[in-house]
Amino acid sequence: MKKLEFVLIGLIVFASGCYKHNEPRVILREDVGSDTAGSNIVTEPIQHAFSALIGEGIEVTNAVTRRNDAGFLELYVNGRNASYNTKRFRYKVEWLDADGLMIETKTSVWLPMSAMGKSPFTIKAVAPRPQAVNFRMDTRTWE
Amino acid sequence: MKAKILYFIAAVCFLATGCAQETKMIDTMNDEGKAVMDLDYRDFDMAASKMVQSMLGSGALKKPEGDRYVVATGRILNDTTQRIDTDQLMVKIETEILNSGQAVMTSAIGSGSDALLHETRELRDSEEFDPGTVAKRQTLIAPELTISGKIFQRNIRYDRNTQQVEYYFQLKLSDVKSGLRFWQDETLIGKRGSSKSVSW
Repeated sequence: MKKLEFVLIGLIVFASGCYKHNEPRVILREDVGSDTAGSNIVTEPIQHAFSALIGEGIEVTNAVTRRNDAGFLELYVNGRNASYNTKRFRYKVEWLDADGLMIETKTSVWLPMSAMGKSPFTIKAVAPRPQAVNFRMDTRTWE
Repeated sequence: MKAKILYFIAAVCFLATGCAQETKMIDTMNDEGKAVMDLDYRDFDMAASKMVQSMLGSGALKKPEGDRYVVATGRILNDTTQRIDTDQLMVKIETEILNSGQAVMTSAIGSGSDALLHETRELRDSEEFDPGTVAKRQTLIAPELTISGKIFQRNIRYDRNTQQVEYYFQLKLSDVKSGLRFWQDETLIGKRGSSKSVSW
Protein backbone atom coordinates (compact mmCIF):
# COMPACT_ATOMS: atom_id res chain seq x y z
CA MET A 1 0.00 0.00 0.00
CA LYS A 2 2.82 2.34 0.95
CA LYS A 3 4.46 1.56 -2.33
CA LEU A 4 1.40 2.81 -4.19
CA GLU A 5 1.49 6.12 -2.29
CA PHE A 6 5.16 6.58 -3.14
CA VAL A 7 4.46 5.85 -6.79
CA LEU A 8 1.58 8.35 -6.84
CA ILE A 9 3.62 11.12 -5.20
CA GLY A 10 6.52 10.32 -7.48
CA LEU A 11 4.28 10.58 -10.52
CA ILE A 12 2.85 13.92 -9.39
CA VAL A 13 6.33 15.33 -8.78
CA PHE A 14 7.62 13.95 -12.04
CA ALA A 15 4.64 15.11 -14.10
CA SER A 16 4.50 18.60 -12.63
CA GLY A 17 8.25 19.04 -12.92
CA CYS A 18 8.21 18.04 -16.57
CA TYR A 19 5.57 20.44 -17.77
CA LYS A 20 6.89 23.42 -19.64
CA HIS A 21 4.99 25.38 -22.24
CA ASN A 22 6.86 26.39 -25.35
CA GLU A 23 6.25 30.12 -25.42
CA PRO A 24 8.66 31.89 -23.03
CA ARG A 25 7.01 35.27 -23.70
CA VAL A 26 3.76 34.14 -22.09
CA ILE A 27 3.70 33.64 -18.33
CA LEU A 28 1.02 31.33 -16.99
CA ARG A 29 0.67 31.90 -13.27
CA GLU A 30 -0.48 29.64 -10.50
CA ASP A 31 -4.10 28.54 -10.95
CA VAL A 32 -4.08 29.76 -14.55
CA GLY A 33 -1.84 27.32 -16.38
CA SER A 34 -1.13 23.64 -15.77
CA ASP A 35 0.75 22.70 -12.65
CA THR A 36 4.51 23.06 -12.62
CA ALA A 37 6.95 22.02 -9.94
CA GLY A 38 6.61 25.49 -8.45
CA SER A 39 2.82 25.53 -8.38
CA ASN A 40 1.93 21.90 -7.69
CA ILE A 41 0.29 21.38 -4.32
CA VAL A 42 2.84 18.71 -3.34
CA THR A 43 6.04 20.20 -4.69
CA GLU A 44 5.26 23.90 -4.24
CA PRO A 45 6.29 24.17 -0.56
CA ILE A 46 9.56 22.38 -1.26
CA GLN A 47 10.36 24.54 -4.27
CA HIS A 48 9.46 27.76 -2.44
CA ALA A 49 11.46 26.77 0.62
CA PHE A 50 14.46 25.89 -1.51
CA SER A 51 14.16 29.18 -3.41
CA ALA A 52 14.07 31.13 -0.14
CA LEU A 53 16.95 29.05 1.26
CA ILE A 54 19.29 29.83 -1.60
CA GLY A 55 18.12 33.45 -1.51
CA GLU A 56 16.75 33.84 -4.99
CA GLY A 57 15.92 37.43 -5.92
CA ILE A 58 16.32 39.96 -8.70
CA GLU A 59 18.76 39.08 -11.46
CA VAL A 60 19.82 41.50 -14.17
CA THR A 61 20.11 39.91 -17.60
CA ASN A 62 21.47 42.86 -19.55
CA ALA A 63 21.44 46.65 -19.86
CA VAL A 64 20.94 48.14 -23.29
CA THR A 65 21.42 51.80 -24.21
CA ARG A 66 20.42 53.56 -27.38
CA ARG A 67 20.10 57.16 -28.46
CA ASN A 68 16.53 58.10 -29.34
CA ASP A 69 15.35 60.38 -32.17
CA ALA A 70 15.40 63.38 -29.83
CA GLY A 71 19.08 62.78 -29.09
CA PHE A 72 18.70 61.47 -25.52
CA LEU A 73 20.25 58.28 -24.23
CA GLU A 74 17.67 55.62 -23.35
CA LEU A 75 18.42 52.82 -20.95
CA TYR A 76 16.64 49.48 -20.80
CA VAL A 77 17.62 47.21 -17.93
CA ASN A 78 16.24 43.72 -18.48
CA GLY A 79 16.09 41.29 -15.64
CA ARG A 80 14.19 38.53 -13.95
CA ASN A 81 12.77 37.97 -10.52
CA ALA A 82 14.09 34.49 -9.73
CA SER A 83 12.16 34.18 -6.48
CA TYR A 84 8.56 33.04 -6.13
CA ASN A 85 7.48 36.22 -4.35
CA THR A 86 6.84 39.65 -5.82
CA LYS A 87 9.95 41.77 -5.29
CA ARG A 88 9.49 45.45 -4.66
CA PHE A 89 12.54 47.63 -4.74
CA ARG A 90 13.74 51.11 -5.60
CA TYR A 91 16.29 52.11 -8.19
CA LYS A 92 18.14 55.26 -9.07
CA VAL A 93 19.84 55.97 -12.39
CA GLU A 94 22.65 58.49 -12.60
CA TRP A 95 23.91 59.69 -15.95
CA LEU A 96 27.55 60.17 -16.85
CA ASP A 97 29.04 62.45 -19.48
CA ALA A 98 31.92 61.70 -21.86
CA ASP A 99 34.44 62.43 -19.08
CA GLY A 100 32.73 59.94 -16.78
CA LEU A 101 31.43 62.74 -14.58
CA MET A 102 27.96 62.58 -13.11
CA ILE A 103 25.37 64.88 -14.65
CA GLU A 104 23.37 66.69 -12.00
CA THR A 105 19.68 66.22 -12.72
CA LYS A 106 16.39 66.22 -10.87
CA THR A 107 15.37 62.99 -12.53
CA SER A 108 18.00 61.01 -10.59
CA VAL A 109 15.77 60.07 -7.68
CA TRP A 110 14.77 56.76 -6.12
CA LEU A 111 11.94 55.32 -8.19
CA PRO A 112 9.79 52.33 -7.25
CA MET A 113 9.77 49.08 -9.18
CA SER A 114 7.85 45.86 -8.71
CA ALA A 115 8.56 42.50 -10.35
CA MET A 116 6.28 39.50 -9.92
CA GLY A 117 7.71 36.16 -8.91
CA LYS A 118 9.47 34.11 -11.59
CA SER A 119 8.89 36.85 -14.14
CA PRO A 120 10.99 39.04 -16.38
CA PHE A 121 10.91 42.82 -16.00
CA THR A 122 12.31 45.88 -17.74
CA ILE A 123 13.29 49.21 -16.28
CA LYS A 124 13.34 52.07 -18.75
CA ALA A 125 15.05 55.38 -18.11
CA VAL A 126 15.72 58.41 -20.32
CA ALA A 127 18.69 60.71 -19.79
CA PRO A 128 17.46 64.31 -19.57
CA ARG A 129 20.61 65.73 -21.21
CA PRO A 130 22.04 64.94 -24.63
CA GLN A 131 25.54 64.94 -23.05
CA ALA A 132 24.84 61.64 -21.27
CA VAL A 133 26.86 58.77 -22.75
CA ASN A 134 26.84 56.25 -19.92
CA PHE A 135 24.98 55.48 -16.71
CA ARG A 136 25.22 53.88 -13.32
CA MET A 137 22.31 52.41 -11.45
CA ASP A 138 21.78 51.63 -7.80
CA THR A 139 19.06 49.67 -6.03
CA ARG A 140 17.70 49.43 -2.52
CA THR A 141 14.82 47.79 -0.73
CA TRP A 142 11.36 49.32 -0.80
CA GLU A 143 10.88 50.53 2.77
CA MET B 1 17.72 69.68 52.40
CA LYS B 2 19.38 71.82 49.72
CA ALA B 3 21.16 68.78 48.32
CA LYS B 4 17.84 66.92 48.05
CA ILE B 5 16.27 69.79 46.10
CA LEU B 6 19.29 69.94 43.80
CA TYR B 7 19.10 66.20 43.17
CA PHE B 8 15.39 66.51 42.45
CA ILE B 9 15.89 69.38 39.98
CA ALA B 10 18.71 67.46 38.28
CA ALA B 11 16.50 64.37 37.96
CA VAL B 12 13.62 66.42 36.50
CA CYS B 13 15.96 68.07 33.98
CA PHE B 14 17.39 64.67 33.00
CA LEU B 15 13.93 63.20 32.46
CA ALA B 16 12.70 66.23 30.55
CA THR B 17 15.65 66.14 28.13
CA GLY B 18 15.09 62.43 27.60
CA CYS B 19 11.51 63.09 26.47
CA ALA B 20 12.27 65.87 24.00
CA GLN B 21 11.97 64.86 20.34
CA GLU B 22 15.31 65.47 18.71
CA THR B 23 15.25 67.46 15.47
CA LYS B 24 17.06 65.73 12.64
CA MET B 25 17.84 66.77 9.09
CA ILE B 26 16.19 64.60 6.45
CA ASP B 27 18.58 62.75 4.18
CA THR B 28 16.79 63.80 1.02
CA MET B 29 19.21 61.81 -1.15
CA ASN B 30 18.41 58.48 0.51
CA ASP B 31 15.38 59.06 2.68
CA GLU B 32 14.33 55.84 4.36
CA GLY B 33 11.53 57.47 6.30
CA LYS B 34 8.07 55.93 6.34
CA ALA B 35 5.58 56.87 3.65
CA VAL B 36 2.90 59.35 4.65
CA MET B 37 -0.69 59.58 3.43
CA ASP B 38 -0.27 63.16 2.25
CA LEU B 39 1.92 64.13 -0.68
CA ASP B 40 5.49 64.76 0.42
CA TYR B 41 8.63 65.83 -1.44
CA ARG B 42 9.41 62.23 -2.46
CA ASP B 43 6.13 62.02 -4.33
CA PHE B 44 6.82 65.26 -6.20
CA ASP B 45 10.38 64.09 -7.02
CA MET B 46 9.03 60.83 -8.37
CA ALA B 47 6.22 62.42 -10.39
CA ALA B 48 8.54 65.07 -11.85
CA SER B 49 11.19 62.49 -12.76
CA LYS B 50 8.67 60.27 -14.55
CA MET B 51 7.05 63.19 -16.36
CA VAL B 52 10.36 64.66 -17.56
CA GLN B 53 11.60 61.31 -18.82
CA SER B 54 8.32 60.72 -20.62
CA MET B 55 8.27 64.20 -22.18
CA LEU B 56 11.89 64.23 -23.32
CA GLY B 57 11.75 60.60 -24.45
CA SER B 58 8.71 61.33 -26.62
CA GLY B 59 10.65 63.81 -28.75
CA ALA B 60 7.82 66.34 -28.45
CA LEU B 61 10.28 69.08 -27.52
CA LYS B 62 12.54 68.50 -30.50
CA LYS B 63 11.95 71.31 -32.97
CA PRO B 64 12.21 70.16 -36.60
CA GLU B 65 14.55 73.00 -37.66
CA GLY B 66 16.92 72.23 -34.79
CA ASP B 67 15.97 75.47 -33.06
CA ARG B 68 14.58 75.67 -29.52
CA TYR B 69 10.91 75.95 -28.63
CA VAL B 70 9.66 78.72 -26.34
CA VAL B 71 7.51 77.15 -23.66
CA ALA B 72 5.13 78.83 -21.24
CA THR B 73 3.71 77.26 -18.12
CA GLY B 74 -0.06 77.46 -18.04
CA ARG B 75 -2.41 76.66 -15.23
CA ILE B 76 -1.61 73.69 -13.02
CA LEU B 77 -4.75 73.03 -11.05
CA ASN B 78 -4.52 71.70 -7.54
CA ASP B 79 -7.67 69.63 -7.13
CA THR B 80 -6.54 67.87 -3.98
CA THR B 81 -7.68 68.56 -0.46
CA GLN B 82 -4.16 69.63 0.44
CA ARG B 83 -2.64 73.05 0.22
CA ILE B 84 -0.08 72.51 -2.50
CA ASP B 85 2.08 75.00 -4.31
CA THR B 86 2.14 73.44 -7.78
CA ASP B 87 5.57 75.00 -8.32
CA GLN B 88 6.85 72.13 -6.21
CA LEU B 89 6.22 70.00 -9.29
CA MET B 90 6.64 72.51 -12.08
CA VAL B 91 9.96 74.05 -11.06
CA LYS B 92 11.61 70.63 -11.33
CA ILE B 93 10.06 70.04 -14.75
CA GLU B 94 10.88 73.53 -16.03
CA THR B 95 14.46 73.16 -14.80
CA GLU B 96 14.89 69.90 -16.68
CA ILE B 97 13.30 71.30 -19.86
CA LEU B 98 15.71 74.24 -19.74
CA ASN B 99 18.74 72.06 -19.00
CA SER B 100 17.84 69.62 -21.77
CA GLY B 101 18.80 72.33 -24.26
CA GLN B 102 15.74 71.64 -26.40
CA ALA B 103 13.49 74.45 -25.21
CA VAL B 104 13.50 77.72 -23.28
CA MET B 105 10.88 78.75 -20.77
CA THR B 106 9.31 82.19 -20.96
CA SER B 107 8.81 84.44 -17.95
CA ALA B 108 6.74 86.90 -19.99
CA ILE B 109 3.44 85.09 -19.72
CA GLY B 110 1.76 82.24 -17.92
CA SER B 111 1.87 81.05 -14.36
CA GLY B 112 5.64 81.39 -14.25
CA SER B 113 5.53 85.02 -15.38
CA ASP B 114 7.70 87.69 -13.84
CA ALA B 115 5.77 90.90 -13.10
CA LEU B 116 8.96 92.97 -13.34
CA LEU B 117 9.17 92.24 -17.09
CA HIS B 118 6.03 94.31 -17.57
CA GLU B 119 6.80 96.88 -14.89
CA THR B 120 10.15 97.70 -16.44
CA ARG B 121 8.39 98.37 -19.74
CA GLU B 122 6.31 101.02 -18.07
CA LEU B 123 9.52 103.02 -17.53
CA ARG B 124 9.64 104.07 -21.18
CA ASP B 125 8.25 107.52 -20.39
CA SER B 126 10.20 107.93 -17.17
CA GLU B 127 12.80 110.68 -17.14
CA GLU B 128 14.79 108.82 -14.49
CA PHE B 129 15.88 106.00 -16.76
CA ASP B 130 18.14 106.02 -19.78
CA PRO B 131 15.70 105.24 -22.65
CA GLY B 132 18.40 103.19 -24.36
CA THR B 133 18.42 100.71 -21.45
CA VAL B 134 14.65 100.25 -21.31
CA ALA B 135 13.23 97.31 -23.28
CA LYS B 136 11.79 98.36 -26.63
CA ARG B 137 8.33 97.54 -27.86
CA GLN B 138 7.72 94.20 -29.56
CA THR B 139 10.77 92.55 -28.08
CA LEU B 140 9.05 89.85 -26.05
CA ILE B 141 8.93 86.42 -27.67
CA ALA B 142 5.55 84.70 -27.68
CA PRO B 143 5.41 81.07 -26.51
CA GLU B 144 5.06 78.29 -29.06
CA LEU B 145 4.16 75.56 -26.59
CA THR B 146 2.30 75.57 -23.29
CA ILE B 147 2.34 73.11 -20.42
CA SER B 148 -0.76 72.77 -18.30
CA GLY B 149 -2.29 70.13 -16.13
CA LYS B 150 -3.68 69.20 -12.78
CA ILE B 151 -3.10 67.20 -9.64
CA PHE B 152 -6.18 65.56 -8.23
CA GLN B 153 -7.02 63.18 -5.46
CA ARG B 154 -9.50 60.37 -4.88
CA ASN B 155 -10.21 58.98 -1.44
CA ILE B 156 -11.58 55.46 -1.30
CA ARG B 157 -12.65 53.49 1.72
CA TYR B 158 -10.64 50.27 1.41
CA ASP B 159 -12.07 48.53 4.45
CA ARG B 160 -13.26 49.46 7.91
CA ASN B 161 -9.87 50.65 9.13
CA THR B 162 -8.04 51.38 5.93
CA GLN B 163 -8.41 54.11 3.37
CA GLN B 164 -6.89 54.35 -0.06
CA VAL B 165 -5.79 57.68 -1.46
CA GLU B 166 -4.97 58.03 -5.14
CA TYR B 167 -3.09 61.06 -6.40
CA TYR B 168 -3.10 61.70 -10.13
CA PHE B 169 -0.53 63.98 -11.74
CA GLN B 170 -1.58 64.92 -15.26
CA LEU B 171 0.35 67.15 -17.66
CA LYS B 172 -0.11 68.08 -21.30
CA LEU B 173 2.02 69.95 -23.81
CA SER B 174 0.13 71.86 -26.51
CA ASP B 175 1.13 73.80 -29.59
CA VAL B 176 -0.12 77.39 -29.33
CA LYS B 177 -0.59 77.99 -33.07
CA SER B 178 -2.44 74.85 -34.00
CA GLY B 179 -3.88 73.93 -30.61
CA LEU B 180 -2.64 70.40 -31.17
CA ARG B 181 -1.48 68.39 -28.22
CA PHE B 182 2.09 67.13 -28.69
CA TRP B 183 2.43 65.13 -25.48
CA GLN B 184 0.54 64.17 -22.38
CA ASP B 185 1.04 61.77 -19.52
CA GLU B 186 -0.29 60.77 -16.14
CA THR B 187 1.51 59.51 -13.04
CA LEU B 188 -0.45 57.78 -10.32
CA ILE B 189 0.72 57.65 -6.73
CA GLY B 190 -1.42 55.41 -4.55
CA LYS B 191 -1.29 55.13 -0.78
CA ARG B 192 -3.12 52.84 1.60
CA GLY B 193 -3.13 53.47 5.32
CA SER B 194 -5.11 53.95 8.46
CA SER B 195 -8.45 55.72 8.15
CA LYS B 196 -7.40 57.79 11.11
CA SER B 197 -4.62 59.46 9.16
CA VAL B 198 -7.13 61.36 7.03
CA SER B 199 -5.58 63.21 4.11
CA TRP B 200 -8.03 66.09 3.95
